[in-house]
Amino acid sequence: MYSFNYSKPDTIEAAREMMRSAEDGIYLAGGQTLIPAMKQRLSAPTDVIDLSSIGELTDIDVSDGRVRLGALVKHADVAGSDAVRSAIPALADLAAGIGDAQVRNRGTIGGSVANNDPAADYPAALLGLGASVHTDQRQIPADDFFVGLFETALEEGEIITQVAFPVPDRAAYAKFPNPASRYATVGVFIGVRDGVTRVAVTGAAPCAFRSAEIEAALNAEISARSLDGITIGADDLNNDIHASAEYRAHLVTVMAKRAVTALPK
Amino acid sequence: MELFEELEIALAREEVWAMLVDAEILSQCITGCETVERISETEYTLLLGTSIGPVRARFTGTIELTDLNPPESYTMLGSGKGGVVGFAKGSAKIRLQDRTVAGKTGTLLSCTLAVSVGGKLAQIGSRLVDVAARKLTTDFLSRFVALAEK
Repeated sequence: MYSFNYSKPDTIEAAREMMRSAEDGIYLAGGQTLIPAMKQRLSAPTDVIDLSSIGELTDIDVSDGRVRLGALVKHADVAGSDAVRSAIPALADLAAGIGDAQVRNRGTIGGSVANNDPAADYPAALLGLGASVHTDQRQIPADDFFVGLFETALEEGEIITQVAFPVPDRAAYAKFPNPASRYATVGVFIGVRDGVTRVAVTGAAPCAFRSAEIEAALNAEISARSLDGITIGADDLNNDIHASAEYRAHLVTVMAKRAVTALPK
Repeated sequence: MELFEELEIALAREEVWAMLVDAEILSQCITGCETVERISETEYTLLLGTSIGPVRARFTGTIELTDLNPPESYTMLGSGKGGVVGFAKGSAKIRLQDRTVAGKTGTLLSCTLAVSVGGKLAQIGSRLVDVAARKLTTDFLSRFVALAEK
């Protein structure tokens, strides 16, 4: 690798200060995207600010109808947490299906959410459950957080501290993984709370989104049958060597049906 | 990959054309364009700083306008080298037609874009190249329309 400054602050304030004084700084969470990009020189920051010593970011708290995950909670920790699994089994299952064992043991929820990869799993869970993203500055509802391709509502230097999920009545996630990377070719997360159904789609478009059509159909009746005849337009969907836009459009309804079928009774 | 976009602009065709051959205007519409320098009547060099997700690269590029047929169509040929990151090449065929927009004489701009990338960008970026090219194109067009209708 080329040379860069590495620092490991103990507090959020120190991390922000380091970012302010860096020429071209970047925060390091689990490093599962950043480090490969740096190895390939696709990214060459002057300063890498490692957040892993900030202790308060690794807490898991399940209470008052909320699952609160610190930004540096690893995917494997979510998958293996009995408290998370009993409150929102779909969230634990989703975490267990991210990437491979290496990614799950290093990758973090905060890193995934801040990176906002179009095929990442977590954005679907945040949107499908109506979660909120807490930063050192404010609280951002998931609906306002994911802005576009790799774009979020985060300001320069802002640090995610926690993601808070309201516990739903029922939820399920179904994804069609890329066989090599396990990224979602298409993934659909369905969350039902207080009689309202939210449906979030990842992998299909430049940014995870909620499907108004599928939500309307499921709010009328929660069954796979009620999705018969729903077709998703391919115009704004991703088209690449892994899957055409039309194929992804088709997969959205298929994954939505699988998720509905997987909803706990 | 190929991409087709079409949009209406509330400005007469001749004026849209004048903007399309104005390097200053073009540089304002290109995401991350830091400098633009004119080499000849139809050729420019530019410096771009692009940041899309994990990829942060600086490209030095050239733009050449060919097949000039004012005020109707031209082809913009672009190429950029991002050092170890790889390179990108693209062409945009731009066509202008008269179109009534909001009751006034306006323009329908259509753009056919073809992009190819090489080097590490292609190696790891295949998943993201199309979606990134589409974003850069729609950003370009929306800024262009905003400037045109200002």
